[in-house]
Amino acid sequence: MNPAPSKEGLRGGRRCEMNELRREPITGRWIITYLDRIPAVKDFKIESNEKKGQATCPFCWGKEDQTPPEILVHRKYGAPNTANWTLRVVSNKFPALRIEGDLNKDGMGVFDKMNGIGAHEVIIETPDHFKDTADLAYQEAEEVVWAYVSRSLDLRRDKRFKYILIFKNYGKIAGASLEHCHSQLIALPIVPKRVQEELDGAKQYYDYKERCVFCDMIREEQDEKERVIYEDGKVIAYCPYVSRFPYEVWIMPKKHASDLTGLDRDTVPCVAKALRDSLLRIKKYLGDPPYNFIVHTSPINGREREDYHWHIEIMPKLVNVAGFEWGSGFYINSVPPDIAAQNLLSVKLEEK
Amino acid sequence: MPELRRDPVIGRWVIISTERSKRPDQFLSGVEKEEFARGEKCPFCEGNESMTPPEIAALRNPGSKPNTPGWDVRVIPYKFPLLIPEGDLNRHGHGMYDIMDAIGAHEIVVETPDHQCEGVPPAGQLAKIFNVVIDRIADLEKDARIKYVLLIKNYGRAAGGGHIKHQRMQLVGTPVNLKRVKEELVGTKQYYDYKDRCIFCDIIKQEQAAQVRVILESKYFIAIMPFASRFPFETWILPKEHSCDFYKTPKDRVCDFADLVSQTFARLRKVIGDFPHNVVLHSAPFRRDLGKRRYWETIDKDYHWHFEILPILTRVAGFEWGSGFYINPLPPEDACKSVREPNQE
Repeated sequence: MNPAPSKEGLRGGRRCEMNELRREPITGRWIITYLDRIPAVKDFKIESNEKKGQATCPFCWGKEDQTPPEILVHRKYGAPNTANWTLRVVSNKFPALRIEGDLNKDGMGVFDKMNGIGAHEVIIETPDHFKDTADLAYQEAEEVVWAYVSRSLDLRRDKRFKYILIFKNYGKIAGASLEHCHSQLIALPIVPKRVQEELDGAKQYYDYKERCVFCDMIREEQDEKERVIYEDGKVIAYCPYVSRFPYEVWIMPKKHASDLTGLDRDTVPCVAKALRDSLLRIKKYLGDPPYNFIVHTSPINGREREDYHWHIEIMPKLVNVAGFEWGSGFYINSVPPDIAAQNLLSVKLEEK
Repeated sequence: MPELRRDPVIGRWVIISTERSKRPDQFLSGVEKEEFARGEKCPFCEGNESMTPPEIAALRNPGSKPNTPGWDVRVIPYKFPLLIPEGDLNRHGHGMYDIMDAIGAHEIVVETPDHQCEGVPPAGQLAKIFNVVIDRIADLEKDARIKYVLLIKNYGRAAGGGHIKHQRMQLVGTPVNLKRVKEELVGTKQYYDYKDRCIFCDIIKQEQAAQVRVILESKYFIAIMPFASRFPFETWILPKEHSCDFYKTPKDRVCDFADLVSQTFARLRKVIGDFPHNVVLHSAPFRRDLGKRRYWETIDKDYHWHFEILPILTRVAGFEWGSGFYINPLPPEDACKSVREPNQE
C-alpha cells in the first residue's frame, strides 16, 4: 500500500481533484491514480542500496572460476574465463530451469505440468563492482543491449523455447541476490501470462482499429508531451498515462517493431541512451531506489507482428504490493505520471 | 528437476524450483514490532472510537451507543479512502484512454476491541467477524454502482500492512469488475462449457483423493495448498459444497468456516511462525441484471468462492509481478506435509 502523504507532496496546490480510475488500453486493467494527495520522495521509505564490498563477489575480475564458464564475453585480450573482460554472460549457478533434456508435457487429472526445461543466464554488465546500469557510460550501456540481442538470437534457434524473458532485479527488495550489476535472461517453454495478456489485448485493438496500440500510445504521449522524459529520432521514454507504479517508465522504439532481435545498428545506441538516462534520473531523483526492469518482446515464432511492439518497462520498487493488488489485479498509483515525469526531468544529467 | 505447473483456472504457469529449495522449516518468519510515535494511540482500540470516522456498522452489546465502547467487531470508513462513496462515476475518455471517477466503498473491519490479539483471533471471534462482513457485503450489494466487493487483509509490513498491528481487514467495493476475478470467471466458464462441471469442485475431488495437498477438512470446508502455488505455503480454503457467493453462506456454516480458518492458521504458525501474509476472498461479482448479461447465465454453476491465504516469506521480485510468471522455491506437497505433520520434521 502507498504511504501516507505529507503536505509537501501537494506540488503548488495544483491538485485538489478526485482520484481517478484509469483503464490501460492494452490489457484492460484498471489503475487507481491518486490526484488529491501525492506523496513526496521522503514519504516513500526507500531502503539504501549501498554496496557492501567486493570481497566475496563472484562477478568481479579474477573470480571467473567461481561462475559457470562464459557463454558470451566482450574481451579484447586474454584467455577465456580470465579477467580483462568488459561484459560477460554466464549460466546462472542456481538456475530456475535446466537446459538439458526433452520437454515432457504431462497431465494429472485437472492439472497440467511439464518438466522445467529452459535456459537461465546472467549478464554481468560491467566489471566495476560499484557501478549500476545508471552509472555506465553510453558505450558500456550499448554493449549490454547488444548482449541482450545476441543472446536472444542464439537461443531463438532452440525449438523447445517459446519465449525469452530479459529482466533486471536491482536491490535486495527487488529480488537481487548479488549486488554486482547484472541482468538476467530466462528462455521459457511457455509464454508468461502478463505478456500473453498484452499480446491478446494488442491483437484485439488491432482487429478493431488496424493500428498498433503501442504506436497509438506513442503518438498520444508525443502530442501531450508532459509525460515524456526522453526522445530522440529512434526511441522514446515516458511515464505512461496508465502507470501502475509511482515513477514507472516505458522505453519504446518509435518505429514499429515487435521483436527486440530486430534492433539495428542505428537504434541500439538510442535504446542504450534512453535506458541509461532514465535509470540515472530515477536514481538521482529518488535516491537510488530498488527497481526492476523487464523487456517485453514478441514470442519466438519467426514472424514480424503488426499488432505488437517491443518495449522495456522500468518499475521502481517504492511501495509494497498488498492484498488489494494480489486479489484484484488492480493497481494503486499514488504519483500521477505527469508529475513523476516532471520530477524526473528536473534532474540535471551531465554528458558522459 | 524443476517443474512447470499450470494453474488450471486461469492458465498461469509457475516454476516449482526444487533446485534452490530450502527445507520447509527454514521459512520461519516473524512480524516486526510496531512503531508508535510518542504519545500516539491506537485508533482501533476500544475507548478510542472518537479517533476514527463514525462507524458504519458494529456488533455491539445491547444498549451501547454507536461510537462508544462496548463492541466486538466494528466497521468504519477509511480516513483516506481509495474510493469514495459519494458522487457519480462520470465515465469519460481522454484520447485513447478511458477514465472514471474513483467511486466505491473502502471500509475497515476492526476484528477485535483488544489491541494485544496476536496472529489470528480465536474461532468464536472469527465467526462474529465473518458474520459482520457478510452483512456489509449484503448491504453494499444494494448500491447499484458497486460491482464487486473484495475482502482483504494485510498482515505485517512485508505484506503491505500499516505500522499499527491492531487486527483488521478491509472491504473494497469497486465500480468495475476486478481483472483477477474476471480471469477466474473466464477460466471457470470455459471449463464448464466443455465439461458441464465446476472446475473448483473437480479440484476438490482430486485433492481429496490424492491427499498430498490437503491440510485440513471440516464438515463443510476444505483447506488445500494449490497445485500451482505461487508462494511457499500458499493456502486456499473452499466450501466443499458448490457455492459461488460467500455472502450467501448460511449462518451455521459460518461457524464451521471460522473454525477451519482458525485451525489452518494455527497449523501454519507452528511451522512458519508469526508470518506476514495477505488474505484475499474471491467470490462471484454482484449480478443485478442477469437478462442483459448472457455470459453470466451459468455463473451460479461454474464459479466457486474461495479464501486465499498468501504468506509473504520470500521477496516477490517486480519481475514476477511484471511478467505474471512466478518461481516458487518450495513444492506445495512438501509445504503441506510439514504443516500436516509438524512434529516429524
